[in-house]
Formats: sequence, structure tokens, C-alpha cells
Amino acid sequence: MSAAARELRPTVPVWDALVRVLHWSLVVSVAAAWLTRHSPGRWHEWLGYATLAIVAARTAWGFLGSGHARFADFVRSFPATAGYARDVLAGREARFLGHNPLGGWMVVALLTMVALVGFTGWLYTTDRFWGVPWVEELHDTLSDILFAFVALHILGVLFTSARHRENLAAAMLHGRKQVGPAGGESAGEL
Amino acid sequence: MSRRISTATLLVAVLAAAPLTVAGATGLATCDSGSPDTWQPQEKLAAMLKEKGWDVRNVKVDGGCYEVYALDDKGERVEAYFHPVTLERVKTAAE
Repeated sequence: MSAAARELRPTVPVWDALVRVLHWSLVVSVAAAWLTRHSPGRWHEWLGYATLAIVAARTAWGFLGSGHARFADFVRSFPATAGYARDVLAGREARFLGHNPLGGWMVVALLTMVALVGFTGWLYTTDRFWGVPWVEELHDTLSDILFAFVALHILGVLFTSARHRENLAAAMLHGRKQVGPAGGESAGEL
Repeated sequence: MSRRISTATLLVAVLAAAPLTVAGATGLATCDSGSPDTWQPQEKLAAMLKEKGWDVRNVKVDGGCYEVYALDDKGERVEAYFHPVTLERVKTAAE
């Protein structure tokens, strides 16, 4: 299909306002928490609480929300996810309007890692665990793993955007995606 | 997707991976303390603080200072810096 023809394909709403606001506020608060990790004052602590609040809200919305916001929409079985991964390696994976199976598990992994980093950070501020070396090391190691997942997430978005010739990062901003070409739709798409 | 966007995304990915390689001083305080050979042992500082009623949790080296995590004699959480030669308290950027 030519670029001009692609432009003519209609778009549909995919990511609701809450999903988008929570996504980008999580990006900002995690980045700010990273930047303030050695700053004087309690900025880092407050940013940590903000990330935990965002993760809690997104998790609740994953059950209470509708459409592609729901975990039920994008968390798929391990066999289905492995099948999708094989399709990716073979270059014949389906396009999904919501999260694809690997992207869906990445959402779960990122929410879990932010929660663990936030929890161990909070633990370090309690009298019981204040200054305890293993808590600090655990918090640091979990943050490193979180940032490795963030890098993988960005690479996944980049790769999938290129594969299906669409800007997935922009879709997370405006919330809309083009419907698939007629006849090219897979069972998993809608 | 335009080339410019993919380049920007790649840059963000690299920046996201950067924390894995960054380490070193926090900049909260610095001590002009010379060679570590001339420093008093960490154990001496910890013993001195315990004497004062502190519950010392960890002593690290940061910016040429000893950085102490402890509950002080009033039970307050403190992250305090000390000069490793004189064992005098050093003010941090937070204080």
C-alpha cells in the first residue's frame, strides 16, 4: 500500500485518556526520581510515592477500565505469547490494535518493577530498614533491572512501529490508531 | 514512522540504559581529606557514634568523607558526613 493510501485509512480510539495520562506521568515521575536519586531534600521520596500512586491507579484501571485498557485485553497465555514471539522471529506476526502479547507482558513487567523499586525505596525510609546496606543494594539493583526493561520497552515500540509502519509512541499521545487494511486483519487484532 | 522519530527513540533507549554504567560520588558533601592512608578507621568513627547513643547502620566513603547512616541518640534517621582525618561532622548540601 502506498503512503498516500495509508493516510486515508480511518483511525479509531485505542488508548483512553486515563491510560495516556498515567503512561506519561509514570515516564516523567520515574525519570525525575532517577535524576533526584542523590539530591538533598525529600524530592526523590515524594517522586517515589507518585510512581506508586500511578502504578496503583493503572492497575485498578486494568480491571475497572474498558477496551484496550484492560489487562484481560492484552495479558495472554504463555503459549499464545510464545507463539507470537515465534511469529516475530519468522517475520509474520499479526498486528494488534491494543498491546501485542509481548508488549502486554512488558506492561505487567514494568508495573511490577516500578512497584518493587518504590516499595524497597519506602522500606529504606522506615526506622527498621534505614541505612541497612542490603535494602539499598536491592533498591539499586531493582532500579537497574527496571531501566533495562524500559530500554527493552522502547526498543520494542521502535521495532513494532517500524514493522507495521505506524508511530506507536504518537498513538500513546493522541490515543488513536489506524484500522488494519481490509483482508490483512488477524484474529487477534480486535 | 519518520527517521527523526526513530533516532530520537533510539537516543532515549540509550539514555535509559545509561544508569547501568553510572556510579560514583553523590556530591552531597566533599572532604579535602588527602590519601586514604592518613584516614582514621571507619570502626573508630562507628564506635565513637555508638558511644553517643547512635544506632549506626552503615558507613561508606563518599566524596572523600565518611558517610554514616544511623538513628541518632534521639532516634531520628540521619545521613551524616564526617571528615575521615578529624572525624568532625561535615555539613551536607541538605543541612
